[in-house]
Amino acid sequence: MSRRLYPLASLEQIQNSPSRQDGIPAELEEDLRAYGCKLIHQAGILLKQKQVAVATAQILFQRFWFVTSMKQFGIGDVGMGALYLASKLEECPLRMRDLINVYDLLLQRAAHSLKPEGKEFKYTPMSYFGNTFYDLKDALVVAEMQLLKRLGFDVHVVLPYGTLVNYMRLLDLTGREDAVSRAWGYLNDALQTPVYASYPVQTIVSAAILLATRHLGIPLPSTPPNCWWDLFDAEWEDVWAVCGYIMRLYRERSLEDRRQVIGMLTKKDVRRWLEENAPS
Amino acid sequence: MDAVEKANLERQKRWAKERKVGEGTYAVVYQGREVGTGRKVAIKKIKVGAMKDGLDMSAIREVKYLRELEHQNVISLLDVFSSKTNLNLVLEWLETDLEMIIKNHSLVFLPADIKSWIAMTLRGLEFCHRNFILHRDLKPNNLLIAADGQLKIADFGLARDFADPGYKMTCQVITRWYRPPELLFGCRYYSTAVDMWSVGCIFAELMLRTPYLPGESDMDQLKTIFRALGTPTEEEWPGHTKLPDYVPVGQFTKSSMRDLFTAATADCLNLLSKFFIYEPRKRISARDALHHPYFFALPNPTHPSKLPKISTQPSSRTLEEVDGNVDLDSPGPAVKAPAPVPNRLKRKLSSVSSNQDGRETYARRLDFSQ
Ligand SMILES: Nc1ncnc2c1ncn2[C@@H]1O[C@H](COP(=O)(O)OP(=O)(O)O)[C@@H](O)[C@H]1O
Repeated sequence: MSRRLYPLASLEQIQNSPSRQDGIPAELEEDLRAYGCKLIHQAGILLKQKQVAVATAQILFQRFWFVTSMKQFGIGDVGMGALYLASKLEECPLRMRDLINVYDLLLQRAAHSLKPEGKEFKYTPMSYFGNTFYDLKDALVVAEMQLLKRLGFDVHVVLPYGTLVNYMRLLDLTGREDAVSRAWGYLNDALQTPVYASYPVQTIVSAAILLATRHLGIPLPSTPPNCWWDLFDAEWEDVWAVCGYIMRLYRERSLEDRRQVIGMLTKKDVRRWLEENAPS
Repeated sequence: MDAVEKANLERQKRWAKERKVGEGTYAVVYQGREVGTGRKVAIKKIKVGAMKDGLDMSAIREVKYLRELEHQNVISLLDVFSSKTNLNLVLEWLETDLEMIIKNHSLVFLPADIKSWIAMTLRGLEFCHRNFILHRDLKPNNLLIAADGQLKIADFGLARDFADPGYKMTCQVITRWYRPPELLFGCRYYSTAVDMWSVGCIFAELMLRTPYLPGESDMDQLKTIFRALGTPTEEEWPGHTKLPDYVPVGQFTKSSMRDLFTAATADCLNLLSKFFIYEPRKRISARDALHHPYFFALPNPTHPSKLPKISTQPSSRTLEEVDGNVDLDSPGPAVKAPAPVPNRLKRKLSSVSSNQDGRETYARRLDFSQ
C-alpha cells in the first residue's frame, strides 16, 4: 500500500497548541497564523509563483504551529521558509535572493504601517553585502530545515480544488458558476486558517459549499436523514466548525489589534509581548 | 528542548553510523546499524554544508517520494532524522546493484533469471506509476539487490509527480543510454512511457551483458537508437518532427533484433520490441508488460533467492534447480555471455582471470550536467 495520507493535527494539539502553552491567547494565535499566511500569499503574487506552491506553503506553515511555539520561531521567517520549501516540492524553485528581497519589502511595508499616518511608504532596497541579507538568508535556511524536521519530513499536502469540482458535479451545481467561484474563494480564504492542518479535505470543501450555497440562497437537502454533506462523509459539527474558522477571518479587527499582530512578526517581538502581558 | 527535538533525538539514537561506503552526487552514504536489533542499514547523509540554496532538490524529492512508496520492489526509507544542519535518510541496506551483477562476467544468467529481474523491476515501477510517480532515472545501477535477491528501485532524486497531466517538465532527465528519443528531441510533456524505454534498455542489457544503446553524445544517442531500431517514420511516430529539438539525424533501417538477441524466445523479443515503440502513447505500460505472455511462458522466473549473486562462495545451485529453469526446447539460454560457456548448466565459469570484483575499465557513470 502507498502511504499517501496527509497528516492532521490531533485534538490535543488543536486544543492546546504549543503557542497556547507558552501563553499566547487562542485568538491572537489565530490572527498571527492568518497574517503569516497573508504574507506568503503576497510574496507569492509578487514572485508570480504558482498557486499550488503558495497553497502548499500555507498548509505547511499552518501545520508547523501545531508542533512549534511562536515564541521559538517567528511567523515571518517560517512563512518565508515554507514558501521556499513548497516551491521546491512543487518543482518550481525560487531564487533565494528573489524571495529574500520580496520578504524584505513586505516586512518593511509592515513596519511602515505601524508608523503614524500620513507618510508614504518608500522601499529602500537592502545591500547584498549588508547584514539584513545575510540574516534573512540564514533565517531562511534554518526555517526550511526546521519545517522539514518538525513536520517529521512528511510534506504531503492535498489541495481541495479537484474535490470541489467533483462535489459540485455530484450536487448538480456545475451550472451555477457563481456558486463554484464563491466556494473556490472560500477554499482559498481557508488557506489562512488552520483547517487544512486539522480537518480532512472533504469537510473543508463541504464547508465552502455550505457557505456559498447559503449565501446565494441555493437550496440543498439539509434535513436528516437527507443531508447533502453525508454524501461526502462529512460530519455536521466539523463542517460547521470549519465555517466558523473561515467566518472569523472576516471579522472586523480594531486598529489596535491589527497593529498588535503586525508587531509580532518575529520571535523577539513575541517574547517581548509575552513579558509585557505576563499574567501577574 | 521541546517535544519535537526530543523525538528527533530519540530517532537519531536508534541508528549508529559505522563506516563510509560511498559518496553520491548530493550525499555521503554510510553503513550503519539499528542499535536495538543490529540490523544493517544504509544512512545517507545529505550534504548541506555548502548550502548555496538550502536543501538540495534531489534530497527533497527523495524524502517526499520514498515516504509515500512502500513496496517490496522499491527501496524502503526506514527513518529520517536531522543532526544540527544535516538531513539523514535511513534506508534498507542493499548489497549490490544490477550493474555490478551484469558486469561480473563470472556470473551466467539463465533466461529465467532475466525474467525474474525484469518482473521485479516492472512490479516496482508499476507501483510507482500507479501512485503517479515517474522515476526518470532508471538504469542498472539504480536497481539495487537485497541479500535475499529482491530487486529494489532506488534513487528517487529525479522522480516527479505526474498527477497533473499536460504539465511542462524538463527533458534533461534519465542517463543518456537509457533516455528515450522523445526526451532527446526536447519533448516537455511526457509521462510513464519514458521509464518504460529505460526498462527496455535494461532488459536488452541483461541479455547482451553490455549496454544496448550506448551513445557518446546526445546527438550520437539518437543515431545509435535509429541505427538499432530504424529511423521512425511519420506514421510510426506522428508529430515527432515538430518536437522542440528535432533534428534529422539520417535514415537508418531497422536492424534485426533476432540477429542480435539470438537466444531470445519469440515472446521475449515481442515484449522487448514493445518497450521500444517510438510513439510514447503506444509504448507498453508497466501494467500491460506484466501481463505479457512472456511472463506466463516457460521458463518460470527464478525465485529471487536463487538468482545469481556476487559472492566469494561457489554457486550452490543444484542441478535440479537449474533444470527446472531451462526450457530445453529453446534454442538455448538467452545469454550472450562474452566468454564461451563451457557447460551451460554450470553457474560459475572456472577460468575467469579478471573482473572478479565486477568492475570494468570503461566509465559507466554518465554526466547529467549539460
Ligand atoms: N541502500 C544502500 N545500501 C548499500 N549501499 C548503498 C545504498 N545506497 C547507496 N549506497 C552506496 O553509496 C553510494 C552512493 O549512493 P548514492 O548517493 O545513491 O549515489 P548516486 O548519487 O551516485 O546515485 C552507492 O554507489 C552505493 O555504493
